[in-house]
Amino acid sequence: MRVPLSWLREFVDVDLAPEDLAARLTLLGMEVKGIERRGTDWANVVVGELLAVEKHPNADRLSLTRVNMGSGEPLEIVCGATNIAVGQRVPVALPGAVLPGNRRIERTEKMGVVSNGMLCSGDELGLNADADGILILAPETPLGAKLADLYGDVVLDVDVKPNRGDALSILGIAREVAALTGGTVRMPAIEVADTGEPIEGRLTVRVDDERLCPRFVGRWVDGVTVRPSPDWVQMRLLAAGIRPISNVVDASNYVMVELGKPIHTFDAAAVARDGSGRAGIVVRPAAAGERLETLDHVDRALDPEALLIADANGPLGIAGVMGGAASEVSNATPAVIVESAIFDPVSIRRTAFRFALRSEASLRFEKGQEFRLARVGADRTAQLILAWAGGSVARGAVDTHPEEPTPRRVAFRPARVDRLLGTSLGVDAQRAVLERVGIETEVSAGPIGVAIAAGPTPESVPAGAGHAVLATIPTWRRDIEIEADLAEEIARIHGYEEVPPRRPSTQMPAWRETPLAARDALRGALAGAGLTEVVSYALVSARMIEAFAWTVDDRPAAGEAAREGAPVTVTNPLSMDHSILRQSLVGSLVEVVDTNARHGQTDLAIFEVGKGYGRVGDDSREWWRLGLAFAGAMEPPAWNRPRREADIEDAKGAIELVAGLLGSGVPKYTPLGDEPILHPGRSASVESRFADGSLAIAGVVGELHPRLAEAWDLRAHRVVVAELSVAGLAGGSLTPERSVPLPRFQPIERDLTVDVPDRVAAAAVTDAVSAAGGSALEDTTLVGTYRGHPLGPDERSLTFRLRFGAPDRAVGEAEIDAAIGTISDALRENIGARIRS
Amino acid sequence: MELAQLTQDLETLAAETATALAGAPDVASLDALEVDVLGKKGRLTGVLRGIGALPVDDRPKVGAVANRVRAGIEAEIAERRAVLGSAELDARLAAETIDVTMPGRPFRHGSLHPSIESMFEIARIFGQFGFVVHESPEIEDDLTNFQDLNIPPDHPARDLWDTLYVDIPGHLLRTHTSPGQLHVMRTMQPPIRALLPGRCFRYEAIDASHGSEFFQVEGIMVDEGTTMGDLRGLLDEFAHAMFGAGKRTRFRPGYYPFTEPSVAFDVECLVCGGPGCPACGRSGWMTILGAGMIHPVVLRRGGLDPERYQGFAFGMGPERISMLRHRITDLRLFLENDVRFLGQFR
Ligand SMILES: [Zn+2]
Repeated sequence: MRVPLSWLREFVDVDLAPEDLAARLTLLGMEVKGIERRGTDWANVVVGELLAVEKHPNADRLSLTRVNMGSGEPLEIVCGATNIAVGQRVPVALPGAVLPGNRRIERTEKMGVVSNGMLCSGDELGLNADADGILILAPETPLGAKLADLYGDVVLDVDVKPNRGDALSILGIAREVAALTGGTVRMPAIEVADTGEPIEGRLTVRVDDERLCPRFVGRWVDGVTVRPSPDWVQMRLLAAGIRPISNVVDASNYVMVELGKPIHTFDAAAVARDGSGRAGIVVRPAAAGERLETLDHVDRALDPEALLIADANGPLGIAGVMGGAASEVSNATPAVIVESAIFDPVSIRRTAFRFALRSEASLRFEKGQEFRLARVGADRTAQLILAWAGGSVARGAVDTHPEEPTPRRVAFRPARVDRLLGTSLGVDAQRAVLERVGIETEVSAGPIGVAIAAGPTPESVPAGAGHAVLATIPTWRRDIEIEADLAEEIARIHGYEEVPPRRPSTQMPAWRETPLAARDALRGALAGAGLTEVVSYALVSARMIEAFAWTVDDRPAAGEAAREGAPVTVTNPLSMDHSILRQSLVGSLVEVVDTNARHGQTDLAIFEVGKGYGRVGDDSREWWRLGLAFAGAMEPPAWNRPRREADIEDAKGAIELVAGLLGSGVPKYTPLGDEPILHPGRSASVESRFADGSLAIAGVVGELHPRLAEAWDLRAHRVVVAELSVAGLAGGSLTPERSVPLPRFQPIERDLTVDVPDRVAAAAVTDAVSAAGGSALEDTTLVGTYRGHPLGPDERSLTFRLRFGAPDRAVGEAEIDAAIGTISDALRENIGARIRS
Repeated sequence: MELAQLTQDLETLAAETATALAGAPDVASLDALEVDVLGKKGRLTGVLRGIGALPVDDRPKVGAVANRVRAGIEAEIAERRAVLGSAELDARLAAETIDVTMPGRPFRHGSLHPSIESMFEIARIFGQFGFVVHESPEIEDDLTNFQDLNIPPDHPARDLWDTLYVDIPGHLLRTHTSPGQLHVMRTMQPPIRALLPGRCFRYEAIDASHGSEFFQVEGIMVDEGTTMGDLRGLLDEFAHAMFGAGKRTRFRPGYYPFTEPSVAFDVECLVCGGPGCPACGRSGWMTILGAGMIHPVVLRRGGLDPERYQGFAFGMGPERISMLRHRITDLRLFLENDVRFLGQFR
């Protein structure tokens, strides 16, 4: 809500500087988002009168004007606009003026003629968007006056909250100002000289459904002259952010800004007459198949959801949303019908959304209107039309519901209010505070019900005699319905800053495990290991969903949710790039790798802890996963070391780090081979189990398939990815490490080198060694591999370091020799390995 | 063998050894000399072999001389070893000198995402005040995201949350973490102090201060006597923990359908500290969160008796907190995942 201070001052005294007023309104809940000073850019702009408008001697498109500034010699000014004529008063920027946009005006030569300034358009002054012509001022505008003195203003931009539709008006803001200054609100004198024929002979109104239109007040003005409004009206509307149109339309908009009452005006000639020659207006839902060309010249198909203002021939306008083009007030309009109605807020809101026609008017209707305003607004509009467009106002008004409702009464318990706020105001102070916003109160003499909930599930509790105060709510405050609303009003007017802060001293709840513990530890470990945490969009494109859909079976870790169901699609996406909830993290991570590569950042080690989403029937599913991606150099080159490319071993290292953190077993890798997302020869499924056999980590790791990399136009040469279900991501903490006693006897290490065909996986050899090694074999670690002479072309040798030991004795050489013999025999027999000595 | 001859041999050995010691070029030759003279099969032992031929009375005399000679040689060797050893060490150290001004071998440094870090930091701070973390789904139903939070269908307040709907009937992507209030009230019994962090979604075009996906942290505290004063007191402590002790704060009316009274909570501008600057819209204040006393309707829908229980809720954007703390000016950076940005948060 834009509030010109000049306008506000008509309603209430304001002695505060704009900044102070803004700060105090903000503390009152009317947050001032900005302060605009109109006219500070008009320092050397004054009102001049055109004495002559002649063709420029050297340029066809320019005019040479002589301008009377009221005093001194007339000035010669060159002008390019075509809307000027002798006798008009116009804004003149004199040499030295600095217009909006830091535009300096100097005495300059234009095509051989000296121009002593510039005639200004509304656009050049920052007044409006009209850049085509010079701003023509009213003939009575004082010559030589500074434009800033005439039309300069300070405008507050107030963020009115959705529950305070009443404050979407100068009047409403004035009431707030009065509440904080103790001032009095001055209403304009709303008196219509309705001296014309009785309106009963001119207009009938029928409302088909009172729930959708509880009140319709019609006024009629004959013999109007439709032309631009007085300058001051236009300036005021412009300051309030409303484009002036004509005196009649401006009158309705003026009332909307001033009182918060949207008004519509019709060309009375466009409304069908009944047998008695009366214009007949019907308020009814649209019938299926009806159409209407609205004011914006769009032909719209209507449906029964839309409420219409209609006549016998069909729709005239969409109620509360937009009028029809055919009944628009124009220069030829002889008589005007003023429509000031109350509509069902929900109906208006739905219709405005449906036609994407949310306007200043519909916004106010949606929030609900003070019932009284229907009549007040109609009268005020008729009064202003009469003043600005002449004619005569038909006597009286058509009013479908002339009885004004009684003000709502809401009870509250002052003790309860103090208990909620943590204050000790007491009855009298609370009543005095409410008085300042026009809420009359009386202590309830008898038992009374106190409303504590409204809306679809109202609730009220009994209060004994003398314990409750009955508040009479002004009719414009539709937001105050229950006790808590009054508590807020009391706190607001008393001042939130006056609520004494107190550190909570109530009972502490029982300890409860945080679901973030494992996630946090894992993030810390991975970041510590040199990985960068990323957070990518959960909403991705259909293309990504398709390209990165895992075909490999999902195995959730212990306590984690499974990946399941169809993708969940957004039905009203902002963009197709973010329209479906992802089911895996790899696609997002690959995209992060790629966008960084496009910034020149090619060496990446990243991780994300994020969710996948699915739909099973009408239920949703969400599951946590850890994603990893590596690209470029894991160790960028330095003077003291060569570049080392990231590869799958880095991803495995990170997975092994996580396993260590969880206290689960060494991860096992099994060749995957048939997952289209991954390189068939460089991908594995991963699992690591807790001591009890449950899954600690389960997922896949591998190089991105080159075809996928190509399809996504990846800059990165190779990308290694992993996606894992990890126990604890969804919640729960890490199991404490179980300490084992340090060995009392020094373990003994032996190396064993085994030649095997390539088709034998290292993991199989390791498993065979472990299985045959006996109880004294504590650990088997692969420490080296070798290819080449004297091995065959499809062979490699693997060197394992075997650690022998026992907690309670020294293991002897003979025992070790025997164990290695057993291992060697097993490897020869079961795997076809050759053992080197 | 005579006593005199033997004594003479010992003195000769001592003299020769002294000469040899003086000429020993390094510790290794010194070691060899030591073995040669003092070793088990060394020259001293050789000389003393003659002792058996002496009369019993003379033996202790030779023994005394031998001991003196041995001690003398040992002392000389030790002395010489110290000199030679130190010179050798000096030479080695000189030879091993490197250019210590060269840079080190770089470790990879990882980083934690500022949105998540900020969220977890908020959780850590409120954890100190006894708040436990609770998470709830991101795909919500309209009932929990709106209606049970006192936001009926077609309510004008819905304008505050432009919503993304999904193809599951009646469901949407949660627009705020506030539905978590209901989940908490339905699963925990007062006294309740809970914190609800998580991802939220809005139908909102992405710009420097708006995003379609972002995080939020909701807090809720309910019991029989929790007041608006408690809310102010707690938020003051939070502001001090997050932005620095002594930072001024401001408590002013806000609007949420699910709180009554509703609160907006400001902290003094972290850039200008009060006088006003472009960063704070010249107001001197920065809004960091919204809050309020939980609406009786919401308490009731959460299964609590609004006449018995009362409490507050607050909600904040970890990205906004992070922007204020780290002077980040563009929200888009949080989801662009440019490692040049992310790498700044080590
Ligand atoms: Zn500032």
